[in-house]
Amino acid sequence: MIFSTELLIQTLLSGLMVGVLYALMALGITFIYSIVKTINWAMGEFYMIGSYIQFVAVHFLLGPSWWWLAAILAAAGTFLLGLLLEPILLKPMYARPLQRRDDYATVVTIALLLLLRNLAVALGGPNQYRPESNLPVVWIGPLPQEGARVAACLFAVLALGVFWLVIKKTWVGLALRAAAQNRVAVQTAGVDVYRLDAVAFAIGVALAGFAGALLAPVFMVFPTNGAVTTVKGFEIIVIGGLGSIPGALVGGLLLGLIESLGAAFISSPYQNVYGFLLVILILIIKPNGLFGERGREA
Amino acid sequence: MWRGGFAGGALLVSVLLGLGPAAAQEPIVFGVITPLSPPGETALGQLAKRGAEIGAEYINEKGGVLGRKVALSVQDSAGKNEQAVAAYRRLVSSEKAVAVFGFIHSGANIAVNEVAKEMGVPTMGTQTGASDVTAKHYDIAFRTHAVDPPRAATWLGWIKKNNFKRVSILAETTDYGIGLAKETEKQNKDKTLGLEIQTIMFDRTTTDLLPQLLQVKAFKPDAIVNVGVGQPLDLMITQAHTVGLLPGAAMVTSYDAPARPQFWQLHGDKGVGINFVAFYSPKSELSEVGKEFAKRYQAKFNEPPVYAALNGFANALVFAEAIEKAKSTEPKAIIKALEEGSFTGWSTTPVTFPRAEGALWHNWSPPLMVLHYAAKDQTPATATVAYVLGE
Amino acid sequence: MATPLPDAPRPDAPLLEALGLSKRYGGLIANNGVTLRLARGEIRGLIGPNGAGKTTLVNLITGIETADAGRIRLGDVELSGRPAHAIAAHGLIRTFQVARVFESLSVRDNLLLPFLAAGSPGGLGAGRARLAELLALSTLAALADDRAGTLSGGQRMLLQACAGFMVPGVSLHVLDEPFAGINPVVKDTLIQLIRRENESHACTFLIVSHEMDIVRRLCPIVSVMIEGAIAAEGRLDEVARRADVIAAYLGGNAP
Repeated sequence: MIFSTELLIQTLLSGLMVGVLYALMALGITFIYSIVKTINWAMGEFYMIGSYIQFVAVHFLLGPSWWWLAAILAAAGTFLLGLLLEPILLKPMYARPLQRRDDYATVVTIALLLLLRNLAVALGGPNQYRPESNLPVVWIGPLPQEGARVAACLFAVLALGVFWLVIKKTWVGLALRAAAQNRVAVQTAGVDVYRLDAVAFAIGVALAGFAGALLAPVFMVFPTNGAVTTVKGFEIIVIGGLGSIPGALVGGLLLGLIESLGAAFISSPYQNVYGFLLVILILIIKPNGLFGERGREA
Repeated sequence: MWRGGFAGGALLVSVLLGLGPAAAQEPIVFGVITPLSPPGETALGQLAKRGAEIGAEYINEKGGVLGRKVALSVQDSAGKNEQAVAAYRRLVSSEKAVAVFGFIHSGANIAVNEVAKEMGVPTMGTQTGASDVTAKHYDIAFRTHAVDPPRAATWLGWIKKNNFKRVSILAETTDYGIGLAKETEKQNKDKTLGLEIQTIMFDRTTTDLLPQLLQVKAFKPDAIVNVGVGQPLDLMITQAHTVGLLPGAAMVTSYDAPARPQFWQLHGDKGVGINFVAFYSPKSELSEVGKEFAKRYQAKFNEPPVYAALNGFANALVFAEAIEKAKSTEPKAIIKALEEGSFTGWSTTPVTFPRAEGALWHNWSPPLMVLHYAAKDQTPATATVAYVLGE
Repeated sequence: MATPLPDAPRPDAPLLEALGLSKRYGGLIANNGVTLRLARGEIRGLIGPNGAGKTTLVNLITGIETADAGRIRLGDVELSGRPAHAIAAHGLIRTFQVARVFESLSVRDNLLLPFLAAGSPGGLGAGRARLAELLALSTLAALADDRAGTLSGGQRMLLQACAGFMVPGVSLHVLDEPFAGINPVVKDTLIQLIRRENESHACTFLIVSHEMDIVRRLCPIVSVMIEGAIAAEGRLDEVARRADVIAAYLGGNAP
């Protein structure tokens, strides 16, 4: 194995770039959880839907120069889909007693996962597609990066910025933050918490859809392309703490870095193992995650 | 009592009469286990399935097997070993399959063979390359594909023909990848080819090969052997361009992935210059039944047949012929017929399954060659033949 | 005599009408046909021994729980079976025994949320003015930008009450044990706040409390709940003399 500073920098860069995208996925999962109090197992499938919309938009409608518009369309499309699905699928959960709620949500979101995946196979076939990308290779010093990957990273950071603005500066964001802390109190303040659930869900899945759209030219578009991202998302939740937004971001970057460094400097075939080792470590020393906090239901 | 006995006898006779022809009408089931959804190599899986379907149609038109029709039961392995094994169990115990083929991923084939060893119904690898598919010398294991030695010999021959000296092998850590990497290094030593070889292994599910490719770049190879299957293969091509390795070095892929219809959509201009191991070029000679297949395939799918489809077709025909020769659907009889007979496949060389050494046990090897895409949108039909094994 | 127009509020009609409310939990009957009428602008006390069903009644009226039987009307609006947030939006708000505030949000944000949730009627300026007024009245102005989680128990209760007043058009404010365990200074501030809102905005109050001296000061009329039903209504001194009320509090049976 040849060690060099070039390799180190490349590895760090790769790790951070992929980490930012992981963070988007994890943020979606944790954000939804903080409001709706359920884990959406179908997160990866919304990533997949975002990537399909991106492909269709770029290949058939807009062309590769408008890839960023297509990505925004993909995020919007996923947002609308989330807005539509949440009241049908998750709202009935609140009619059930507290103990059964998690079971119900788990079953429903896993069923959604299977449905969406098979729908993709039925509609688009099991083949891979790739939206054309004419972004040039970006040279960061002596190191090349695929244009599409760099763009994905930058836009992911942009998305995180927009998310932060919405949460901190708008009244919907205020209501969401309040609901995450005390679901009953927010109702007695006059806020329709069920509509808020739908909005939170839609925002969460839109983040995943956006990630999928951005990464479509890199990892390609096919029915199960979301599966790995779901696993990574949950690793990050454990590392960063469920319900914690800074946890999702830090956890995402950390996972990306560790996988990248481990693969480059320890042993490449075991790339996924390093992330799992970190998960186990966190479970042992800080089971609630690095930023984990226990929220109140009521 | 007498009446009861008579009624009972009449019932028995009518049941037997009823059963007899009905039993003869029951179709013979051929199981097809092939990747039809990701993370498997779905392009090849679909091709194998197409071939098998045309094969079953063809057999039934010619009167079926032992007077019975052939029914295909197609199962999705998704490229996963456990899924393939579950499919095999289902095929043999519930559906009474007498033959199982269609395998594309070596791992799946190897895993299934461990179970087939107990359950007895023979399997045939349609496009599985790893040695262990047949090297364990199980009675039930058969294969109609190139094993590691001739495959590695093919690109080594191509490398020697082009006078390349420094070679990087980037292989996935599956049975397939590991086997081929080892075989290449072994042959370099045994035949004293004098090549400098760099071997790098990677996890099949990796999302980024840049770290590995940077190491390759530092090595400054003349040729790169891409031993990825499906997504990693495509990722490697893309990222080799990003790093600037391609189009400088010559890349050869270990199987005919560039023959897939989506190849140019996925890679565009970056696909130009690729070399790939192929087992069939439309310029190759076909047998009579092979020509018939090619005609039907072209009519049905509007494109010339690709290797995986040819083998899917041939596997079905070979099993049908073996059952006819054995005059039985008993697994041991079929196996014996396969070992002793000589069959017609799609190629002009007859198909045999001798009890040979090593991985060549129960194995028929297709012709091997390296094809080259010199311009965009080429197909195997218009590609240049860069090297033929044995030339 | 002219019959009143259906839309015009009749001045003598009760603001709140809870008729025959019943709720049971398994075998326990918490509320048994409770009927309660509150006039506009009154400050009513709700007293009774522990376990009488006072908090359940409050939960039923404010929509936190659904009654098994009975109806609730606020003015002309039927509130039975409506979700909690809709009831709050109609101007029927409540505080909780253990003050529920949004701990990570600032005091200011806590107060602003109900106003924003109602769509900021009259514009954000009007909201901020009201906010300033309440901050002054509650003596919480100095803590406006602090996180609500840092407030003491009494301060949280004040914050909770003020957040309720921020709901535009609040007509009935239900306070569940607001004086429990808070210091006398805060108690006084709260009493002033209640009186002030009652006088200036005609806000009606229903106050559940065990603190008899405060109830005497604030509530001209009290309702007494015993074992899930309203047993008596009237001035505190009068109902306190009744034998059944005394017996309920002391735990014995009336002779």
